[in-house]
Formats: sequence, C-alpha cells, structure tokens
Amino acid sequence: MLNNNKVVAMILAGGKGTRLEALTKKTAKPAVSFAAKYRIIDFPLSNCANSGINVVGVLTQYESTELDSYIGNGEKWGLNGVHCLMNTLAPRQTEEGANWYKGTADAITQNIDFLDNANPEFVVILSGDHIYKTSYADMIHLHETSKADVTISVIEVDPKEASRFGIMAVDKNDNIVEFQEKPKVPKSNLASMGVYVFTWKTLRKYLKHDAKDEKSEHDFGKNIIPLMLKDKCKLKAYRFKGYWRDVGTLASLHEANMDIALDKMELNLYEQDLNNRIYTQDTYSVPQYIGKQGHITRSIANQGAIVLGDVDSCVISTGVTIESTCKLTRCVVMENAHIKKGARIHNAIIAPGVVVEGDAKINVGSDEVVLIA
Amino acid sequence: MRRVIGICDLHNEPSLSGLTDKRPLGAVTFLGRYGLIDFALSNFSNSHIDRVYVLVKKGIVALRRHVGSGSIWTNNTRLGYVELVINEKGLRHPAFNTDINNIKYNVPVDELDFEYAVIAPSYFLSSMDFRPIVEKHIASGADISSVYIHVDNADKDYLRADKYKISDNKIIKSSPNLLRSKEADISLDTYILSKKALKKIVSDGTKVSELFSIKDMINYYIEEEILDVHPIEFKGYVVPILNLRNYVDHSFDLLNYHIRSQLFLEDWPIYTTTHNTPPALYGKDADVQNSFVANGAIIKGKVHNSIISRDVVVEKGADIKNCIIFTQTQVGKDTKLEYVLADKNASIKEVKKISGTPEDIVYIKVGVKV
Repeated sequence: MLNNNKVVAMILAGGKGTRLEALTKKTAKPAVSFAAKYRIIDFPLSNCANSGINVVGVLTQYESTELDSYIGNGEKWGLNGVHCLMNTLAPRQTEEGANWYKGTADAITQNIDFLDNANPEFVVILSGDHIYKTSYADMIHLHETSKADVTISVIEVDPKEASRFGIMAVDKNDNIVEFQEKPKVPKSNLASMGVYVFTWKTLRKYLKHDAKDEKSEHDFGKNIIPLMLKDKCKLKAYRFKGYWRDVGTLASLHEANMDIALDKMELNLYEQDLNNRIYTQDTYSVPQYIGKQGHITRSIANQGAIVLGDVDSCVISTGVTIESTCKLTRCVVMENAHIKKGARIHNAIIAPGVVVEGDAKINVGSDEVVLIA
Repeated sequence: MRRVIGICDLHNEPSLSGLTDKRPLGAVTFLGRYGLIDFALSNFSNSHIDRVYVLVKKGIVALRRHVGSGSIWTNNTRLGYVELVINEKGLRHPAFNTDINNIKYNVPVDELDFEYAVIAPSYFLSSMDFRPIVEKHIASGADISSVYIHVDNADKDYLRADKYKISDNKIIKSSPNLLRSKEADISLDTYILSKKALKKIVSDGTKVSELFSIKDMINYYIEEEILDVHPIEFKGYVVPILNLRNYVDHSFDLLNYHIRSQLFLEDWPIYTTTHNTPPALYGKDADVQNSFVANGAIIKGKVHNSIISRDVVVEKGADIKNCIIFTQTQVGKDTKLEYVLADKNASIKEVKKISGTPEDIVYIKVGVKV
C-alpha cells in the first residue's frame, strides 16, 4: 500500500469511442458495460483503489453525464473515505476562456489546479477503457527507486502485431531509448499500454511548455514523451505481465467478453482475495433464474437475468430475459435486453434494452461480430 | 413520511432449527441473496419511513454484518438511519429481554419527533406499502391498528400465528392458529400506533407483566377491551416463515414465476447488502434447470430445482436436486445431493451421496466438512 496522497491518478475518460458504433451514441466509452455486471471504467478505478491511491481525477468530455453520475463520489470503489478525493473533471470555462480538451496532455494541463491542490509527488496517467487487473504500487516503486522522470507500462506483443501499437525500444536496463508510433519496422515488441507514472514537478514543466507550443497536438504519446526523450530525461519501461486488453472496437470488446465467459481465467474475476476484486455498482434484483427448459453452458450471467432458452458461450447482463426456444451462441447480451421466443443469434453484441423479435435469425454461421442496437 | 418511525421487531422470531442457532432469523439467507430482514427494511424504505430502529434480541454481530451502516435502505443518509439496538441488560436476564424493555432502554420515544410508529417483524415477507396503511389507521381514529391477511389455507400454514376474530371493524379476539379451519384472518404482527399508544404499551408493560412483548400487550388490550385495535386487511402476497418447513417450502415455491411475481413487484425493489461478487460462471458441462443462482457462484455440474447462493462452487459431475445451498459452500466432484439444505461455508466432498426427502430435508451445519 502506498502512502496517502503521495500519488494522484488521472484517468482519461473523454474519448468518444467511435469504433464502438451505436454503443457509444449516448454513452462515453468507459461507461460501456462489460462482463455482465461491470462497466469498463470499473477496472482502472478498482485498480486505483486496490493500489491504495486515494485521489483520483476522471477526465470526462464526450457524453459525460451518464459517466459522471456513475462515478459519483467514488463510493462504489470505496474512494469516498476520509483521505480520499474523487472528482470528475470535465472541460470548464475559466478566466482564460473556454476550451474542449484538445488532447490527452491538454486534458491534464487544464486541470493543473486540481493537481496543485493535491500536491502529489507522482501522477499516474491511466486510460479509462482498458481491461486489466493490477496494483500500480510496483510500477510506482520502480519509478521512485530508479529516479525516473516518467515510467511507462509496456506489454510484450506478438512481433507481427507490433506495428499496430506505440512501440518502446529499450536498453539492457529497460531504459527507454526510442519511441515509435505505429512503426512499419518495429524496434522491439514492447507496446505502450498508455499507463504512465510521472514525477509531478517534471510533468508540470513539460505541460506548461507544451501548452505554449502551437504546433503540438497536446498528446502524451505524440508530443510529451518524444520531447522528454529528446531532452534526455530518464524514461523507464515497466514490464506488465498478465491480462490486458484495449476494448476500443466491437471485435475486441466481444473477444474480451468471451475470454471471461469461456473461463480463460487470465483476468481472474473470481479471486477470493477481497483486496483484489473489481468493484462496481450492484443492482437490487432477484438472483438469476434458469428456467425448466433453460440450458446455459460456458457463460457468465448476472443477477436479475432470466434464461429460459439455450445459451452457450455468452455474457448475460442484469435484467436480460432470454425466452424459451432461443438459441444464443457467442453473444454479449447487455443489460435489460429482451430476446423473444425462437430467436437464433450468433457472434453478436446486443446493446442495452434492445428487444429482439421472436424467431429472428441473426448472424448465424458468421465469424464477424455484429452489433444489434 | 417525516411523522412516522419504523420499528423492526426481532424479539419474537420463531426458530428455524439449525438456521437460527447462531443467527437471528432476520439474518438468515433467502433465495441465495437476501437476508430475511431485507423485506421489512425495504418496505420501510420504499414507504419513505427513513428512521428505523431494529430491535435485536440476540446475534447482533451476524445482523450488523448484514445490515452494515443501513445506508442502502436509507433515503437521506443525514436525516435517516437504520439503527440496530440491543437491550444489554436483557442479555444478562434473558427472560426479561423483551422488545418493550429494548424500546424502553434504547429508543428515545419522548424526545423523538414523530406521531406514528409502524412495527413490523422479519418473518412475514411481503411487498407492503405502509403509506396507505398509516392513512387508514389515522382515518379510523383507533389507538392501534393491526395488519392482517385473510387466508384460505390456515389449516395447513400459519401454525401458531395469531388468528383474529373481527367484528364491527374491531378485533375482538386473538388466539393461536391451530390449523383447525381453512379460512382465517391471520395477524401479520404489523402494527401502526400513535406515539401516545406506544408510550402506553411501554409503561403498561412493566405494570402488567415484565415478560410481555408488544404483541402480548396488544392481545391483552384486545382481551381486556382496554384499547380499540383496528384491523387493516393486507391484500398482497405474504410468505410466512414461521418454521423450517415454511422456509424450505416457500423457497422452492418461489422458483415458480407466477408466485415470485406476486412477492417481488416491479416498482418495489427489495434492497440487500451486496458483496462485489462477479457474475455467476457456468462451465461447459453445466446443466442448470429451474434454479436460482446468485453471483459469484461457479457451476460446473448439474443443478436442478435448487437455490444456489453467492460464491458457491459446484464441481464437475456433482448432481444437485431440490437443494438449498448457502454462501461459499462447496460441492465436490461427483457428489450427489437431494433435498439437502447446506448452511454457509460447508464443504461436501468426501461423502458422495446425501439424500433427504421432501418432508425431511437434510440440514448440514455452518462450516462442516462431510
């Protein structure tokens, strides 16, 4: 556990999530539901809580109302205690005028006052749309002991896939020597996870500098990190081991859901250690009911669901009803969706509240993931 | 309802055999996820009665674990509260550990700003809106009102519940139901009374008998015609939990959607403590039918006509029929269970077959290994 408030976490949660299509039409991507009972942002927030980080700012912008009210005072993650401060930080009007967040770095720049008030030694920058379980304490410890200016969490990816990521080339001591954004010829297979630990004083200086640069896109990956490299700052790579997914597309969101339904256990939601669970909002519904003709295998289902049909390899959220004689395979059924009698659906994400008519036949036999919204 | 306080009375809870050995009935798990007290507390909450005293007789630890700060039942967490109170003096002298003494020592009746109190037990489960009931009580002008239900199965159920004789909109007699007739007006031990009447019960209690409960006092008033007790009929669905048999039978009955939808109403949520458990996980050989499954459960075997609570593990090849399995209990590989009620944290792995009957369910104690 870390000391109180030596560390502040800032979670970037303002993205529109265009590639999630209609799922993010009225909801910010971090508020999209995941694994039958969670929302994506539960993961970074629970990680913060489990790492002993008590002060968290969540930077919201696109369709922020639902996300703001979901986050509330942080109580769902226990972040409403005496030493805690949980704030959603949307763009606001100030003496200098009013601006949207122009980039990831600009979002932090516009909230320098929040950070100055908290006066931390280190700032952890996180993304609001990644699925993983970790304690940031080890990474912060590495940052502190190696006296780095910034430590970047990296994960080994398949070399063939490396050109899809921001790649960090490192020396033998894991000091970052080069950063390549989606390179054609990657110099390593260490991809940036978009998780940074900065020494606040250094970051503050670079943010102020970046704000004045009219040519900058005010982005951590594109501007701040390359500039720090150029200035010979100390950049350290922290090698993350374990399950980590960016669920920015329908296919990746579907796949990560399937990983849990099929009990791949890499994420281990079923951990008995209470200090390592993912926290979320619980609903007040009766336990899930599986009917007399129901059949459910290789799936997860949340309370309040009613399964009267045949379900295999599916994720069934709160309040979902699957009527009898339905056959669902590889479906992610989001909260309160209703699938009527005899429907057959394969490889689909079914958006919250959608009603699928009886005997509908959707995507059967296809390998492509479809969204039903 | 600012003028009304709620009192959840756990002093007269019936015994559910082993289930209530170490915990009050209110803290007993129900349908895999609730505590029995959730129904009374949710009825107060949904009726906007925000100041609630829970009169605890014993087992306050189990109850506090379940109720927590009470904020999940409270509307405004500054103005409202769910306060668990226990009569410490009564713990040393169990015979005198009555609800009346508990109120006397713990509820500041004089100072509290209220006009009416609603008293409800933990063992009659319903979705009951107290607001129209309080209105009816006020309109009646009576000192005390008692809520009852008219049933046509009093020959089979509601054993030893109070049976009322009602005449001229007044309760004239109260006696225990001994299953002698089908039709009966059964008291739900739910009372609405004015502040004055509550004070009278507390002060009369010590004069009439130190051993009397609120219910005894109200029956005494009826018998002796000291106060008018006004009957108010409840027309909703009631699940009586008066003995272990009741508990088991009604749990299984509620697997039926038509019965369940009478107890759980759409606009009347039953709140309960939650535990950050992940969704239930079903393995590739899971075979689950006509069952409730709570979150955190991992099901890899067969579960039919059963109720599976939070964090239960059912291993591959296990075969569970007509069972109620409590929180964190583990059912091992190839273990066959029929008509078994397994309490919390049990581990059923070594014995490969346990069978009870519908009339005589086998009870497995908290934490045992079999």
